[in-house]
Amino acid sequence: MSKNSANPALNRRTFMKAASAFAGSTMFGGVSFKAFAQQAQALAPADHCFVFAYFSGGWDQLLNLDPRDPTEFTPERISETRILPGYSLLSQDPSYPTMPIQPPGSNIAFGPAVGNFANHFDVMSVVRGINMNTVAHEVGFRYFLTGKEPNGSAARNSSTATEVVGQMYPKMANKPPVPNLAFNIESYNDRYGGYANALRVSSANDLLLTLSPSPTAIDSEIEKQLLDMRGQPVTCEAQLYDSRGLVTQYQDARKQVRTVLDATLDRYFRFDSTTGDSMAVAMEKSATVARYKLRVGNNGLPNDPRNSSAARAALVATALKKGVSQCVSMNIAGGLDTHFGTQLTQANNQRAGWNALADLISDLKESDHPSGGKFIDHTTIVVFSEFSRTPLINAAGGRDHHITNSCAVIGKGVKHNHVFGASGNVGMASGVVNHDTGLPDPKGYQYLPDHVIATVMAGAGLDYSIMRVEPLKGLLAG
Amino acid sequence: MKTAFLQSALLAVAVAACTSKPAEKPELAGTLETVDMGHHPPTVKLPDPEENQGHVGRKPRRITVAQLRESILTTTGRQWSQINALAASLGQPDYALTVSESTEANLVFAKFVEDGAREVCLAVASADLARPNAADRVLFPDVTVANRDFTTMTDDAIKANLSYLSVRFWGQPFAPAERDAWTATFKTVAARAKTINRPEQAWGAMCVAFMTDPRFITY
Repeated sequence: MSKNSANPALNRRTFMKAASAFAGSTMFGGVSFKAFAQQAQALAPADHCFVFAYFSGGWDQLLNLDPRDPTEFTPERISETRILPGYSLLSQDPSYPTMPIQPPGSNIAFGPAVGNFANHFDVMSVVRGINMNTVAHEVGFRYFLTGKEPNGSAARNSSTATEVVGQMYPKMANKPPVPNLAFNIESYNDRYGGYANALRVSSANDLLLTLSPSPTAIDSEIEKQLLDMRGQPVTCEAQLYDSRGLVTQYQDARKQVRTVLDATLDRYFRFDSTTGDSMAVAMEKSATVARYKLRVGNNGLPNDPRNSSAARAALVATALKKGVSQCVSMNIAGGLDTHFGTQLTQANNQRAGWNALADLISDLKESDHPSGGKFIDHTTIVVFSEFSRTPLINAAGGRDHHITNSCAVIGKGVKHNHVFGASGNVGMASGVVNHDTGLPDPKGYQYLPDHVIATVMAGAGLDYSIMRVEPLKGLLAG
Repeated sequence: MKTAFLQSALLAVAVAACTSKPAEKPELAGTLETVDMGHHPPTVKLPDPEENQGHVGRKPRRITVAQLRESILTTTGRQWSQINALAASLGQPDYALTVSESTEANLVFAKFVEDGAREVCLAVASADLARPNAADRVLFPDVTVANRDFTTMTDDAIKANLSYLSVRFWGQPFAPAERDAWTATFKTVAARAKTINRPEQAWGAMCVAFMTDPRFITY
């Protein structure tokens, strides 16, 4: 039985039936399907966008979403608490605070590695004490990507991004050309049509290949002739062949290609080049370069414009704002599997990702959405890692894998300035809470990635029945 | 006596039947004898489209990446250099993360097929121009023009070559009206190719049109 059935999902079969019936009905007159499709081709941002940001390697949650007061959790009490925040070990870099951060007005305390991300407490919920049921990398991240515990290490069912696009895309009036974009991250589709498949790119160049003109040029006049020829009326035989809409779908996709190419969207993603840009585009890109601190020419800014956390965040923002994508999943930060070495390595690698996310949220907070409000009002961001790291430091100076995890859910669909759940004060054990309030309750229940993803889907009005759990009411907005 | 007479008469008829030639039927050019199929089950006629919501036969399908790869190679004798690199984006499953082939004719597929068609077709057209023996050419094997000037081709020659290409790429001949439209387009394209001194773009562009046509990517 579907959940959120008041807003039933239009499945692909139903959509195709409707589309082909519409196409069939127009064979004998009436509104042309092509004309209808053309009207819906203008690129506009999705009304509800999603970002899945993955910190690869297993993060130290003491440094980000589940901090502890080092004056309370002291080395002397280790045998009692089994927790060592270790913030003093970051003192080599004075930019790191040695205490948890709690901006004025915030109900959320953050660890010292979150950088500017803490400033966005007003649009987020933090979920603490999640039981991951695993300390294996590939199991953990696949668990969070799908919201379903993998079979062995194999992902089960579709990625949440695919699930979102699978349910929403058929109903969208303005369909984004690449609805599901996966940036250097896995994506799965086990029950939706190809439209929900992620375009998986490992770098900005792959996306540019989709948005850029063909590398093999044909003379523009000749190209125009070919386009004109393609636009000529089709024969009755061809119409009959297309009675189920496949040819129309392909023709519409080709028109959409033209729309994308004519919009020269690729220029917005070429952060390190302004060649051929109009003044308006150049200014927009200049603002992006400044916001995400991308190194272009000799501007002295720190971040690689093609391959850095900041560049990925800039790419996500551009893809959402320009209507290229509805869902973007990305590997925003890596190098976190720090069994050895110093706490500073973990903190530095984390902070790059958190600061990039902070810039992304600022961008979405300040950008107007065509449907009204700001982009952040139309966007849900899930920030996660496959598990966390042990609350105690090991003999090699690092931390190992820990089963209790936390995550952040930002933007539309969830409560803001809110903490749901808590990990234990002894060894950071998984939380047991009342799901309706999010408060610790000995008679409560544990919560898993399944619950978080079900909540995200419920918050978007989607059918979450495939999750087989109820959403966390204490996390849902309104 | 009567019995003996009847026996003689029957014998005479039987001998006559064995020795006489069968009556010859008039020969009709192009007609086929109906073959009795014996135990063949009765065939079911395709439903009338008007009684079947406008459909006839099974639903068309988009070709898979493997079929696309073979189709390009078979029709042009050349492979698109990026097809393996872009296979996942074109819909090919890796059976690790994606377990079913996507045969959606979506934007990414349309874009990359266009890219591939351009790369392959213009390369084939350039190679054809360099082949002195017309029969070795892929895109215009029966076309002989001076100075690579395709504007000198007659309408009949253009139509003949377009028909050849339609069978080569789609496995079906042109309808006359559509062939006339493509002929007109080719003449304009050939004139432009001559103007810009890019003769390979004449038949190369038509090859792109054939390869990006729905008939090439569906079955």
